[in-house]
Amino acid sequence: MDSILRLQNVRHQYKGRTVLDIPEFKVPHGSIIGLAGPNGSGKSTMLRILSCLEACSSGAVFFEDKAILPFDERARHLLTYLPQEPYLLKRSVFENISFGLKMRGQKKSTRSFVSKALELVGLPPQFADRQWYELSGGESQRVALASRLVLKPSCLMLDEPTASVDMESAQMIRRAILLAREEWGTTLVITSHHQSWLNDICDQIVYLYNGRLLDHSYKNVLLGPWDEVSRDLVSMPIADGQLIVASTPPTNETNAIIPANAIRMTSAELDTSQQKLSCLVTGIYANKKSSDLQISLTCGDQQLMMEMGESDFLKEDIRPNKQVTVFYQPTDIIWIN
Amino acid sequence: MEFILDGLVKALQLLYHGDPETYSAIWATVRVSSLSLTFSLLVGVPIGYCLGYFDFPGKIGIRTIVDTLLALPTVFIGLLVYAFISNKGPLGELGLLFTLEGIAIGQTILALPIVIALTATSVESLERGLQLTLASLGASPLQIFLTSIWEARLGLLVAAITATGRVLTEVGISMVVGGNIKWHTRTITTAIALETNKGQFATGIALGLVLLFMAFVVNLSLSTMRRRL
Repeated sequence: MDSILRLQNVRHQYKGRTVLDIPEFKVPHGSIIGLAGPNGSGKSTMLRILSCLEACSSGAVFFEDKAILPFDERARHLLTYLPQEPYLLKRSVFENISFGLKMRGQKKSTRSFVSKALELVGLPPQFADRQWYELSGGESQRVALASRLVLKPSCLMLDEPTASVDMESAQMIRRAILLAREEWGTTLVITSHHQSWLNDICDQIVYLYNGRLLDHSYKNVLLGPWDEVSRDLVSMPIADGQLIVASTPPTNETNAIIPANAIRMTSAELDTSQQKLSCLVTGIYANKKSSDLQISLTCGDQQLMMEMGESDFLKEDIRPNKQVTVFYQPTDIIWIN
Repeated sequence: MEFILDGLVKALQLLYHGDPETYSAIWATVRVSSLSLTFSLLVGVPIGYCLGYFDFPGKIGIRTIVDTLLALPTVFIGLLVYAFISNKGPLGELGLLFTLEGIAIGQTILALPIVIALTATSVESLERGLQLTLASLGASPLQIFLTSIWEARLGLLVAAITATGRVLTEVGISMVVGGNIKWHTRTITTAIALETNKGQFATGIALGLVLLFMAFVVNLSLSTMRRRL
């Protein structure tokens, strides 16, 4: 058994529209997997299906190689999910955190379990006596996470855990997640729009677009419409007057992606087929799996991410707020719908 | 206006001296309203929960019917129940006509739409995240139902208070189904109607004040409970 969770030929539809189409997806034991992608790409749906909270229209979800369905007792007790906007029961913090233990019939040492969970998310034990209405947004998020951690789950799914919290809470959540894996071997699947936060915490990041899994390298999404430039080329204007040029799409409304590794930064002579963009460096992130660095760029209203080797990075003297020119081949742009 | 003051004095006298006829009516009212409230809550809360919680075809139609039934006239309910439990009715053999149980059946029908409609509204107003949260914490479908009901407890309390008010003060069902039989099915409201017919306004006012006091005690208890929840 190499994976704790597996999706097999999962398709999910809402009102006849396919929102998720995943031939296979595996979550290795003890790993931290990040799910990235634009809004509406199916991240939350995928997380709910993985958490066995929602049945998929077709296909199967396997937990430790056994097919599971919503309300399966084993899955109910070993998988847990933290929604993007956590709901706290109209009770005290203690009752909120101990609720899951009560559902499992666990009544002994509840107070100490709750204190330990609070400590994990950086809150003092006295916090247990507060009422739900006495908490700030960040505190509510941390209490909601504590109510999942107290269950010592085999697998914990977090939907945008840092979406509406301050830096301190985001750091506490990160620390708690890593401790959960270290202490209980918890496997985590996390969605987030914070690319750097995901890069920092995850062993692997997978990208979703329109309910489909892309490969593991970062993808920049380019949203149409496109204007025809010539018989073979189309362009998309960006706010600062520059154009992103691509080979002809199936329709002018089509969206596209450009892989992060297809964007290059070089001062070499311009290849005639290459296109260039002038961008501002807005962030530099380490890649956990290799020595490559990820550089976030802003060109007009378009955010781009590119990957770069350490030596090139040093050679180009990349630093935040530096204006740079990047290059790409129009044929590297992939049409996705 | 003098008879209002007389009524107040007489109400205190009736209660203080333990007037058996008054206490018989109070006891009949307490028994019959407790029975009808218990049944309407037991039946109405799960139905209201389903109506507020689940989406299914015909839900809006059912909701409209329930809301319409909120305006059911008590005399009409009395008449329907009478038709069913009178000797010629399909349930005539049960001997429920002119009994407190018969009145309780009618009052349950009266309170049921109130409990269903207010429970449904209260459950509908729960945040959609509740079910997801409970399921994600490992709750079974039954545990989700019980916890959701607990989360909607203030709304349910309002439903109970409203139903209590309606049941305590109705007169049509008690009169038609109970027959206003002294020492047996005479409730406070039917006693007031009788005393008024006899021109005994002071006694009528006295009984009315007793009823008001009962309603006050019930609401005070429920309000105290509400503060503690």
